[in-house]
Amino acid sequence: MPFYLILGVVALVGLGLLARQMMASGGEAATKPVAVTMDPAQLAQVQGISVGRADAPVQIFEFADFQCPGCGEFARFVSPIIKERYVQSGTVRYVYYDFPLPMHPHAFLASRAGRCANEQGKFWEYHDVLYGRQSQWSSQRDATDSFIEYARDVQGVDQGKFRECLRSDRFAREVTENMKLGESLGVNGTPTVFINGKRLPSVPGPKELDVLIQQEVGAAAATE
Amino acid sequence: MNSLADAVVVDHTPPPLARMVIAVLALAGLLISLYLTLYKLGYLGVIQCGTGGCEVVQTSQYAYFLRLPVALWGMGAYTTLLALALAGVHGSRADDRRLGLVILTVATIRVVFSAYLTYLEAAVIRAWCRWCVVSAVLITLIFFAALFDVRRSRNLAP
Repeated sequence: MPFYLILGVVALVGLGLLARQMMASGGEAATKPVAVTMDPAQLAQVQGISVGRADAPVQIFEFADFQCPGCGEFARFVSPIIKERYVQSGTVRYVYYDFPLPMHPHAFLASRAGRCANEQGKFWEYHDVLYGRQSQWSSQRDATDSFIEYARDVQGVDQGKFRECLRSDRFAREVTENMKLGESLGVNGTPTVFINGKRLPSVPGPKELDVLIQQEVGAAAATE
Repeated sequence: MNSLADAVVVDHTPPPLARMVIAVLALAGLLISLYLTLYKLGYLGVIQCGTGGCEVVQTSQYAYFLRLPVALWGMGAYTTLLALALAGVHGSRADDRRLGLVILTVATIRVVFSAYLTYLEAAVIRAWCRWCVVSAVLITLIFFAALFDVRRSRNLAP
């Protein structure tokens, strides 16, 4: 029957393409989350990587994945404005939490790489490099060497120490704890942004963020 | 006296074309949603998209519905449509109008959901996932085929 022949051809072609794609890119993720069990008190202690005054009236939390294009746009067009306009003036404390999504094979390693740079006090510089070159390393089979190479381009990073850190399991637990915290807060996509504990329904652009920050500053001033 | 040939009723009615079309389209949709589900669960690595919009859509918070990946819901809907269409291609169910109505109901729910997802891509996420667009086109075609099938079975009804 031609009908079943057509069905069979569609099924075979589709499954063949799927199998090919899985064999081509379903390779080794260099590292994966570790097994971590946390109670609510422990979750409350989870630390992101922050910039800005601890007592700033506006606290912006971002849950992000270095391999996510939306996070890349946020890092290129919104983060610099937050840092230049509000963090430097003491209005905002900006905290970056890792939330590597399982669909991105290099995201967990990238989060660890960010932490390895943070160990040397260069997180934000390395953060900008990783997002800036996202399209280069995202499609690679193994991004480890690229991440080590990028560390050389960040002034002040000891590449040897960075390599040693990245090639170990260091910070795997911290990244996993960040993920657990995100899950506990209902984060299921990236980037997810919270302003003073309120989760934003969508990713804000610079103008929306400006309005939201002004509202929070106004609310903080009114309660004083 | 009747011969054996007279006693055997041979059904020469061709199988309903609309249901065959629905089955083929549902199979294609099932494969696409399987691809997106595997990607969402981390088994595929980089998604083949071209524009990069697939990743933006798939990593957004709207890629989940009731705590499950949207693509998984798509798999469920397409599997149901495929099973119903296959069941209704031959035999006594070929002209079963109730089966046609069930197919139309599932297709209607899915097409409305698909329209909502397309709206999200256009107005909220502002990125296009080409696989999602293909899926939306497939389910729209399935919807029209189901509509045609119900009209056909209504015309057949005594």
